[in-house]
Amino acid sequence: MSAAAEAHEHHGPPPIHYSSRINPAVLGIFLFIGSEIMLFGSFFTAYFFDRIVANPAQWPPLNEAGVPFERPWFLALINTLILVTSSFTIHWATVSCKKGNRAGLQAGMVLTFLLGLTFLLTQVIEYHRIGFNTNDTAFAATFFGLTGLHGCHVFIGLLILLVITIRAFRGHFSPSAHHGLEVGGIYWHFVDVMWIVVYVTVYVL
Amino acid sequence: MASKANHHPSAARQRFGSDWRAGRITAWLTTVDHKRVGLLYIWTTLGFFAVGGVLALLMRAQLATPNENFLTRGSYNQVLTIHGTTMIFLVIVPILAGFGNFLVPLMIGARDMAFPRLNALSYWLFLLGGIVLLSSFWAGHGAAQGGWTSYVPLSTLHMPGHGEDFWILGLHILSISSLVGAINFIVTIHNMRTSGMTWTRIPLFIWAILTYAWLLVIVLPTLSAGLTMMLLDRQWGTHFFDPVHGGSPILYQHVFWFFGHPEVYIMILPAMGIISEIIPVFARKPIFGYKAVAYSTVGIAFFSLLVWAHHMFSTGLPVGLDSFFMLSSMVIAVPTGVKIFNWLATLWRGNISFDTPMLWSLGFIGVFTLGGLSGIFLAAFPIDWQLTDTYFVVAHLHYVLFGGSMFAVFAGLYYWWPKMFGRLLDERLGKLHFALVLIGFNVTFLPQHFLGLLGMPRRVYTYRPGGIWEVYNVISTVGSFLMAVGMLVFVLNVVITARSGRRASNDPWLADTLEWYTTSPPPAWNFDRLPYISNARPLRDVRRRLEAERWK
Ligand code: HEM
Ligand SMILES: [Cu+2]
Repeated sequence: MSAAAEAHEHHGPPPIHYSSRINPAVLGIFLFIGSEIMLFGSFFTAYFFDRIVANPAQWPPLNEAGVPFERPWFLALINTLILVTSSFTIHWATVSCKKGNRAGLQAGMVLTFLLGLTFLLTQVIEYHRIGFNTNDTAFAATFFGLTGLHGCHVFIGLLILLVITIRAFRGHFSPSAHHGLEVGGIYWHFVDVMWIVVYVTVYVL
Repeated sequence: MASKANHHPSAARQRFGSDWRAGRITAWLTTVDHKRVGLLYIWTTLGFFAVGGVLALLMRAQLATPNENFLTRGSYNQVLTIHGTTMIFLVIVPILAGFGNFLVPLMIGARDMAFPRLNALSYWLFLLGGIVLLSSFWAGHGAAQGGWTSYVPLSTLHMPGHGEDFWILGLHILSISSLVGAINFIVTIHNMRTSGMTWTRIPLFIWAILTYAWLLVIVLPTLSAGLTMMLLDRQWGTHFFDPVHGGSPILYQHVFWFFGHPEVYIMILPAMGIISEIIPVFARKPIFGYKAVAYSTVGIAFFSLLVWAHHMFSTGLPVGLDSFFMLSSMVIAVPTGVKIFNWLATLWRGNISFDTPMLWSLGFIGVFTLGGLSGIFLAAFPIDWQLTDTYFVVAHLHYVLFGGSMFAVFAGLYYWWPKMFGRLLDERLGKLHFALVLIGFNVTFLPQHFLGLLGMPRRVYTYRPGGIWEVYNVISTVGSFLMAVGMLVFVLNVVITARSGRRASNDPWLADTLEWYTTSPPPAWNFDRLPYISNARPLRDVRRRLEAERWK
């Protein structure tokens, strides 16, 4: 008798067995964030390579008028505070959800969304008035590369926040079932923390 | 173990359909079943393999004799670029994903992947990326011409048409596809193992796929970043890589090879996993040193992240860096050697049967080892200064990628074919296929070592007449057509056995891993019941238990 024959005494799958206590969606989003870190890491590598290996003498380089490119660090600092605040509001929304406080969940999500939107609009205005363009040297390339890559992530994050907010108003999520909220929140926290690194690298150092 | 009794045959049939393969085309288009997705991957990649193979024959035809006018200079470069990119991104990486898709849930006793819909997404993105990449040929000025490495400034300042942009877009889509697939593999292997299947009881192929997936998650984003910067330099006027404006072309090489070297291990580790499954079955012995094989997989993956600049020795790195990358590259030979010795020790005094899967595996060991040895030569930077960008490198990479990865792929196809389709491939045709390809392969690529040592550069469309180069080149071309004939035998084998092949039992090779516990092909839900897993060879346990019961 073959080993496999005994496997077919009845039909249909056995109950699913989970070999890990981590929720699959949560593990998945963490892996995705790991890959995102590598993506940002590559742009940071480009930044530091162009700065330290290719242009060791002067950074930011001089523009046509002979003065270094100006980086609007103060405006970006305000913007940083706005984004960091939004991390707290989404945390509040999650905690409210776990406590069954729907009004808190809804208010937290709306606030988070508006703060994120403010950040993105401020960045657009900043780009508009910054005084140099993408084709002005490798400095500009890496500046717009890093901040722009982050801006794209904020944009995607806002779409996710929008979906979560709509769902919160439609009565989704409960103290026992809120993975969609949690996974979106993890992503938003990541976007936040990554901005702090981008800010320090691009505007301060 | 008593499983829940609420799965009556009829109920199960209703829920899952009677046979997961018996659908119309729409059922395949909308499928999220890991086995179907896996087969879609495999069929599609075999199609791309034919495309890539024809491109290779075009190149060999052009190089058969000097000053041939079969291809023009421009079209030769296009053919070369799309051949390399196709074989790497549309054949080897995805066909290993195809094996992974089909096998991972079966091997770990799961019902499906952790995210079945994402799984389907990754297949369709793969198909889309492949089409975009190949459509590069129809762009203005023809396809991309920069080789699979697509170095700057060649690809930024000297490639006016849109072929290069198609190439970039295609690779972007393909990397998203692979990333999604890789995350799915990792989560599945973490979360969906059946009861009792601890980390040291998973099949070695699962270790390989897990490591493959981790490497993809870590390095694919780097490729995406490099491609994005290249695209911006081409189309948006940025200067990431332009030294005139403060950028650096060497930066591109660092970014590319930080991805590119681990990529070669992405292509070989699952192949080694396939070999580690097949050798013990046909030697009728357990694998020698399960843990050594498993941990060396992880070790190779780790070191592969630290060796990328061995592709950049000729760019004039400081000697300290050259030495570091030389030594780290040679260190990789240690865990690789561990594997080779473990396979040999498994064969030692085994009761070996030379079925087709085993022949391909033995071929793999021989040919791959040669490729690894030429790799060690190249890793010594003074030797590399002499041999880089010559045919020696072409010979090296084909010994490891064709003789390595593709041999293992064919071993895997012959081995798991009965599980996939319920019929065995024909043994005689299989052996003919193997013999033709093994001989053709060595006739093609062995002389390329000598060509490289004699200084023939790679990526050239013609060469000077006279001398021994001519002889080696014509031999190489003859070999390539011999291989092509071998591949036709494989096609014949598939076509013939589709109707008349011998029906496979559940476990035709008397193997030890879980996928052989279920029917061939498996039902939609994979398993009706599962044994508790108490070691890495669950089926042997079941066989022994049944044997004991019979004599009671
Ligand atoms: C002991 C292990 C290995 C060592 C030390 C090694 C070393 C090297 C070196 C130094 C080069 C650069 C040659 C040059 O361009 O001048 C090279 C090229 C290459 N190797 Fe390996 N290698 C090893 C194994 C592998 C494996 C397992 C694979 C794939 C499965 C592989 C695939 C390639 C490819 C594709 C290239 C050519 C890249 C190009 O297009 O320029 N190698 N190898
Ligand atoms: Cu390498």
